This record gives sequence, structure tokens and C-alpha cells, in this order.
Amino acid sequence: MRRIIIDADKCKACKNCSVACMRAHAPEGVTFSLSDPQFESRNTILQDGEKQYKPLFCRHCAKPSCANACVSGALAKDPNTGHVLYNPDICAKCFMCVMNCPFGVLKPDRLTNTYVVKCDFCAADGSEPNCVANCPSKAIYVKEVE
Amino acid sequence: MTERFSCTACCSADKPLEKFISNLSMETSFHRVESQEVKCEFGLEGVCCRLCANGPCRITPDSPLGVCGANADVMVTRNFLRAVSAGSGCYIHIVENTVRNLKNTALAKGTLKGLNALERLCNVFDISGGDVYEKAANVADAVLADLYKPDFEKMELTKKLAYEPRLKRWEELGILPGGAKSEVFSGTVKSSTNLNSDPVDMLLHCLRLGISTGLYGLLLTNLLNDIMLGEPEIRIAPVGLRVIDPDYINIMITGHQHSMIATLQDRLADDDVIQKAKAVGAKGFKLVGCTCVGQDLQLRGAHYTNVFDGHGGNNFTSEIILATGAIDAVLTDFNCTLPGIEPICDNLKIKQICIDSISKKANAELVDFSFDARTATTECILDEVVVAYTARRDNVPLNLLPDHGNDTTLTGISEVSLKAFLGDTWQPLIELIAGGQIKGLAAVVGCSNLTGGGHDVLTVEMTKELIARDILVLSAGCSSGGLENCGLMSPEAAELAGPKLKAICQQLGIPPVLNFGPCLAIGRLEMVATEIAAALGVDLPQLPLVLSAPQWLEEQALADGAFGLALGLPLHLGVPPFVTGSPIAVQVLCEDMKSLTGGHVLINGDATESAVLLEDIILQKREALGLA
Repeated sequence: MRRIIIDADKCKACKNCSVACMRAHAPEGVTFSLSDPQFESRNTILQDGEKQYKPLFCRHCAKPSCANACVSGALAKDPNTGHVLYNPDICAKCFMCVMNCPFGVLKPDRLTNTYVVKCDFCAADGSEPNCVANCPSKAIYVKEVE
Repeated sequence: MTERFSCTACCSADKPLEKFISNLSMETSFHRVESQEVKCEFGLEGVCCRLCANGPCRITPDSPLGVCGANADVMVTRNFLRAVSAGSGCYIHIVENTVRNLKNTALAKGTLKGLNALERLCNVFDISGGDVYEKAANVADAVLADLYKPDFEKMELTKKLAYEPRLKRWEELGILPGGAKSEVFSGTVKSSTNLNSDPVDMLLHCLRLGISTGLYGLLLTNLLNDIMLGEPEIRIAPVGLRVIDPDYINIMITGHQHSMIATLQDRLADDDVIQKAKAVGAKGFKLVGCTCVGQDLQLRGAHYTNVFDGHGGNNFTSEIILATGAIDAVLTDFNCTLPGIEPICDNLKIKQICIDSISKKANAELVDFSFDARTATTECILDEVVVAYTARRDNVPLNLLPDHGNDTTLTGISEVSLKAFLGDTWQPLIELIAGGQIKGLAAVVGCSNLTGGGHDVLTVEMTKELIARDILVLSAGCSSGGLENCGLMSPEAAELAGPKLKAICQQLGIPPVLNFGPCLAIGRLEMVATEIAAALGVDLPQLPLVLSAPQWLEEQALADGAFGLALGLPLHLGVPPFVTGSPIAVQVLCEDMKSLTGGHVLINGDATESAVLLEDIILQKREALGLA
């Protein structure tokens, strides 16, 4: 199973990962704009009290708290890839997943509050996630794990 | 007005101001800090280059060179030189307009309020003339001729303005500047794509820009303004948001070009203009000081107490002053005019007027200043402001903070007024320093920023630590705005000083932090330092004097800093100027500079640690001079 591994010490907070994610998940037919709130990133970079960068990415956890809390089955772990995937069509919008994510990485969408902004590992692209492909300092990388 | 803004406002050393901001229902810079908190380290270290289409290139362990082959040292010093050139350009623009105004005033035989300043410059420049107007025109011509020289012709007045030992060192280093405008041009060209790749050459160019900025952009702008607008006179004045009187039509001023509002300033006191205000229900017009031009007005405030009530605050206080609702128009002649004032002005129906196209704001009306049309444009501005006042005052709620600031700030301090205060000699100050009652001098200058712990936080806290160590602090720039609003420029602040400095302050009735006014007055501080050094027969780097721009903000501050380094002074900064990605830049600025000019850069963002470092330098310099 492939996972995004974070090496926080290498992060420079250039936010290339966030921009790449916004582009990869851009609504069809909408011109990309960094100031348009409908473009949202599934990852973010915070700073701790020591001013150390803390890149936050969906961990696609082995025991995903988000999926376990999901009452509608919109969040479920793919047994083949191990990725926790989200189906907005059956989402009940209870946001218990947001409440339960231990990393605080899940969030309701900014404009309508009707769906969850969730990493899909850029599975549709078939290659490595766009965030990883665009990191200049190799602070995030994909690794095969058990 | 935007509905989405952070509830967590950036803190300020000015606690009443901080509380006021946290209760505001509109967004300011203080509210945007949080959302911009995570910074890109490539940018912070200066190792992001976007000078060509192959970029942006960034330096990492796996990519130590840009596509063109530029390493971190080239990227950093190129970026740094670009910034210093732009900062110098800002100041040279200011002195160019100022000296043109002096020339035009002289030709029109207009009012010259500072004849002593004129006489002084004539002596320095060895210039004569039949009457004061001819002298002033001749002074202006000499300055203009220098500003417009090509970069391969050295400016002539540099030799008359510079302190002899400094001049000698600068000649040895080959950093005497050519024409000030041309030096900005060369710095820009030198740092363009695939040109200069010599980090040391580019850093030396920064020193050259520092000299032209310091002696012309800073020092001369003060003196040329003094000739036209009057010399500073020491007095006690009110500061802070309390200076805003809602019974008047209030014009907030931002910028650096005092001479461009001279006509307006004089007109506001005229009876027919006061009647114009009374006709719409106000008592008259008032100028509310903000940013450095506000400091300039405060400094020369003795000459027009009837139209200038006081200085409201520094650069990042501008949005707050407007948010009170009692300002009817913003008159902008230059920076520091934040884009953030625009939505506030729109929301509160505040008229924005720019009088220099260089600083044109998006929603402002441009009434470009021209000396010949000054009377007509002044009337036009007055009419616009009256229209704004009538349209807005009954429809905009007031949110005043009448207790903010204080009425006891000592202002009007200059190299002339301070010396006069001491009995027309620096000897008393020199004796206090020699005797150890004053351990040394710290020039705490520059801007305010919203890093370094928040608005004015490092500036104020470090200054408190310095005065507690019996170090007399002199301030010029937006740092002054914060220090005065926090009460450190009031005589009562003597209580915060160390025992020796406190006793002197109480004896003389002065605060332990002396307010020289705008950032331009860094040039006045240079004159004070030079006169003291001359009296002692030493060079500037030998003085127990340190320079600090704890909360430098902008490119102009970097040009000021380059001046400080050229003068051979230790220069403390709270945050690094985007150079830490280059080992060569760090080595030259922090170490090798000591053997070049005598100065060096030291970086520390902690108030106590910074004060200890600066005190140590002062003690070392005292020891070298044989002072106990």
C-alpha cells in the first residue's frame, strides 16, 4: 500500500503542495485562480510554537477514525489500495469525520459547507499525488508500506 | 467590507491600541497576519530567483544551482541589491522633489522659514548669493547637479557632507557614489538577468547606494525642508489617537514629502478657509499626522500649532486612525500608504487624494503636485475635502479613542535644537558619556512591522532594556511613532531608565528616548554622531554608538541600513533581510564588513538578548576609547 510520508524537517513552507492540490482538484471549466475560494487544498502547512513547519496531509490511516465515525458510508477504506476514499453523493453532511480526524486535516468545503474536502491520493491521475510531484525539497514522498 | 477576517488580531506593544483593534468590525493588517503566518523559507532565505523564464529557481541540496548556473550567493546578493536600489530610489525621489520645491520657492521669492538652515548649508557647500533667494537657488542647483550626474562622475557635495575619516575610507574602498539617480539605475541593471555574478561587488554597490541615500536622500532632505518649512523647535506635544478632534474637518497625511503639503498647511490657517469649514458646521481644518510625514509635521510643529494637532501613529496605525470614522480625507504624498486603507476609506466614505503619481492609490483622486499650480490644486483639494465632510459626517459612526497616547511627548529634536538645548555645545553630552552616567548611545530607527512579536513589540521592549542599562536612545522613523505612543518619549519615562540615566533625565526634564522624527532624520542622527566624533577626534566606528532597526519593514530601510554599514556602525536587525541562504552574504555583512567599513550586521529577535548584545558592543567601544 502506498502512503505519503512527511519529512517535516525538509519542509520550506513554499506551499507548492497546496497549489498543486488546488489545481489537481479544480472544478471543471473554471479558470484557476489562487484567490478564488472555490479552489481548496486538501493539505496545509502549519507552524508549531517553535516556528517549525508542520505539513498536514491525510494519512489514509490504517484504522481511519473518519471512516469509523461516518454514518452514511461516504468514507470508506479501499481494501486494495488502503486509501480512504470519499463519496460526496451519499454524504450526510454530519461532519463527524471532521470532528474525529486526529490530525485535523479534514474540513467542510469553504463556500457551501456541504461536502468534505478530502485527499483522494490523486488516484484518478494514476501516478504519484500532485503534491508529492511538486515538492521541491522532498519533504513529502510516496512509500510502499505494509 | 469583507466579511471574512480573522478574530485573532496581531498584538501590539501599544495595549490600548491592541484592544481597540480587537474590537473593530473591519479588517486591518493586524487581522491578516495570522493567515500569512506560514512563510516560504526559500523566500525568507533569499534563494528564490525569478529573473528569467527558466524560473522561479530555488536552491535545495539537490538543486544547488539555478538553471542558469547561479548559486545561492548570486541569487541572494542580486535580490538584495535590487531591494537596496529600490529603497534608495524612494529616498532619492523624495530629495529630488524637495530640492526642486526649494529651487522653485526661491525663484518665486516664496517664504523661507529656516534661514539658519540655509546659512548652514551655504557654509558647508561654500555657496554665496546676493540675497537669501539667490543663495537658496544656488544650494538647490548644487544638489540637483549632483543627483543628475552619471554613475561614472562622482557627486561633488559628498566630499563636503561626509565626515573626513569616513570619506577617506570610502575612497580607499572605491565606493564613493556617482550621481544618486544613476546609482539606482546601475544597481537595477547590475542585478538583472545574467549580468553581475560577483556577490562582493554587488554588496559593495549596496554600500555605495547607502552613501548616496544617507547623505542626499536622508541628511539633505531634512535640511532642505528646514529651509522651507522652519527648523525643529523642542516642545511638548500630544500623540496618539487622542489628537483626532471630531469637531474639525480632519485630513490624515501619509508620506515623506513635507514640502509638497506646505501650501495646504499654510492655507488651512487662513480665515477664509476656516470660514469654509464653519459654513458646513466644522470649527476649521486639522491635519492629523500619520507615518513619517506626520513625524515631520510634529518635528516642525512649533511653526503651525493652529492646524496640526499632533501625530496619530506610525505606518500600521494608519488603518486604525481611519477606522475611528473622524478622518474625512487621506492626503498621500508617498509611502508608507498601505493598500489596506482603501477598503476602509470606501467603507467609511473617506476621500482619498494622492498628490504624487508615484504613490497613486487605486481609489484615490490624483491631484498631481506642481509648484506652479500649487495654489489652484490646494483650493481644489480643500473643496474636495469639504464635499467629503458634508457627505459623510452625519452618516458615518464615530469610534474614537480619546484617551489613547499622551499629551507629554517631547518633540522637535534635531542636531541643532538638541545642541542648543545643551548650551550650543556637545560637551555636556560627551562628559556624561565619558563619565559613564550615559553608557552610550543607541539609534533605534526604521519602521514598524507586524513580525518580531507584533506591532512595535521588539522596538519598545528592546528600547526599555537599553534605557534600563543607562543607554540613551535616539529614534527616527516609524519606530518613533510606536515609542512615543507607548510613552517612552515622555519625561515620565525616566522612571524606566537605569539609575544614572534616570537622574540625568529628571535633572533635565527629558525622556530617556529622544524623538528626532521621521526616518529621514536618520540623517540628523548621523550629523549628531559626526559632530560628537569630531569633538572627540575619533572616527564613527570608535564611538560607543550602536544602530538598530529592530522592526525594519521595507526596501527603504535596507538602503538606510546600507548607510549605517557605510558609516561603520554595528547594525542590529530583528529579522534577517532575506540573505541567510548565502554563506558569502552572511560572512560579508556580519563579519568581513568590520574590516571594510568598521560596521557589521547582527540579527536577534529577542528584546533582552538584543539589548545585551548592543550593550556589550558599547562596552567594548568604551574600553577601546579608554573609558571606564
